[in-house]
Amino acid sequence: MGQVTAALVKTVKELVREKTVLFWTVAWPIIWVLIGSFSFTGDAPAEVLPAVRGSVTVPMMVFALMMAGMANLPGNIAQDRERGLLSKLMSMPISPWRDLVGRFLGLLVFSCLAVVSVALVGYGVGARFSFTATGALQAVGFLLLIILASAGIGMLIGTFIKNVHGAIMTGVGASVITSAISGVMVPYSALPDLLQAFSRAYPISSANSSIIYLLVGADYAGYTPLTTGQTALTVIISLLLFVAGLIAYSRFCWRKE
Amino acid sequence: MDAIFVENLTKKYGDNAVLKGVSLKIEEGEFYALMGPNGSGKTTLASILASVRLPNSGKVEIFGKKPDEAKEFIGYLPQENFSSPMLSGKENLMYFAGLLGHSKSEAGRMVDDLLGKIGLSADADKRVSKYSGGMRKRLEVATALFPGVKVLILDEPTTGLDPSARRKFFGLINDVKGEKTTILLITHIGADAELASRVGLIDEGEIIAEGEPEKLKKASGLKNVINIETSIKSGRVAEVLKGFSGEGKVLETDLGYRVYSKDVEAATPKIVRSLDAVGCKALKIEAVRPSLEDVFFKLTERTVREEG
Repeated sequence: MGQVTAALVKTVKELVREKTVLFWTVAWPIIWVLIGSFSFTGDAPAEVLPAVRGSVTVPMMVFALMMAGMANLPGNIAQDRERGLLSKLMSMPISPWRDLVGRFLGLLVFSCLAVVSVALVGYGVGARFSFTATGALQAVGFLLLIILASAGIGMLIGTFIKNVHGAIMTGVGASVITSAISGVMVPYSALPDLLQAFSRAYPISSANSSIIYLLVGADYAGYTPLTTGQTALTVIISLLLFVAGLIAYSRFCWRKE
Repeated sequence: MDAIFVENLTKKYGDNAVLKGVSLKIEEGEFYALMGPNGSGKTTLASILASVRLPNSGKVEIFGKKPDEAKEFIGYLPQENFSSPMLSGKENLMYFAGLLGHSKSEAGRMVDDLLGKIGLSADADKRVSKYSGGMRKRLEVATALFPGVKVLILDEPTTGLDPSARRKFFGLINDVKGEKTTILLITHIGADAELASRVGLIDEGEIIAEGEPEKLKKASGLKNVINIETSIKSGRVAEVLKGFSGEGKVLETDLGYRVYSKDVEAATPKIVRSLDAVGCKALKIEAVRPSLEDVFFKLTERTVREEG
């Protein structure tokens, strides 16, 4: 068992055992899948209902990933710092990078559990997706980009906001606000021009639109996100956010004063 | 070779000098206590030794190596309870064993052995959130007892523990430490520091006295200490008691005061009467041997426990 595995196992166990984490990351999106699938679909013709429910489920899968990366990860980092674990780790012959990789992989495992749970509930209430094997792989790639971008933002929050509650609440606020104004929670077509521009630049919402485009259909995405330029922008900004988070965490959380 | 060698160490936070040229030598296998009030620089010194902070100047060596290069020798216990409350005791130790690169089976054996040593085998699978403060501290000590650790740095390990848990804690340290394990105890509690073979008193970033506990007490010249448990504590009560203290010094304690008198027998009934006169009852009054806290008070005129 190496440093990476040790950090991974610890992160997963801590996240899975914390009831509030489970509620906001898994139960909350599931509640919205249920509400969205039954309350807001009354006028929809029966033949489009499965797709409409699919278009409700995907953003909730994305929201679960946002909460995991942007609220749970910084909460976990801030908690470790507040209770002196980071000081203890700094005194041990271990590498900050390995600790970071372990934390990230732990987040990845937890995120997969959250996404699968939300998707299964969506499927259970009638959401259906139509896709090719290539489309499914592309969708998984976009989910991974969402995890990277969310984790990057989460590491930045966890690095600079020292207080545990502050870090968690900032992460929750960032998730809720950005998902609301970028078209994750509301249809892209309902956004004003300025926010539509933000929606395309914000990698999480553009990846969300891409997944909807791939798994549910072009009509539900609001625009065509799978152009070369848009995809490149999504990939580049996701990676930039992740790298910025990595640098901030390894430089500042492990910095010796 | 010294286990810990510190020479002319300085550390500043902005303009605030926390360590002002501290020098210290601790031999291999020695149990050394560094005692001082909050803000005296003792935790900063411990964290520099543990490679958590960097000094501004001076020399620091652990077995002849810089702290950064000696991490495998160091078992550091920060003040905080760093174990994860969401994991069991065993899972916490497995995490640290994993971080140190031990294989799962090797870690499993090692952790079972450590849990036995610290007396937590029966509670190994309980979540740490269900542990008492003393159990949690014992678990955290175990994270510093993996093979290879030669220097234990314990930063205020008994803060928040009741007297019974404190005694058990030091019993554990005594049981588990190897003959050659060097212990540096950082504390503001005189009774804890008395357990060490040598004590350094630190105040405002400087070591003001050093030596064996009994020799420090002798050197202080303190002989007759009256420990008084009072019904109330106030400035007026302290003023009254100062009249009975040799140099006009009275040490405030958790339950009352300590008075340094030349003639204990003569002073005791007078103290009781004088306290009565200001509406304060002497609940308990006894002649006691001087403590390290008395020595610190004599040297600095400040209490070791309450100075911020």
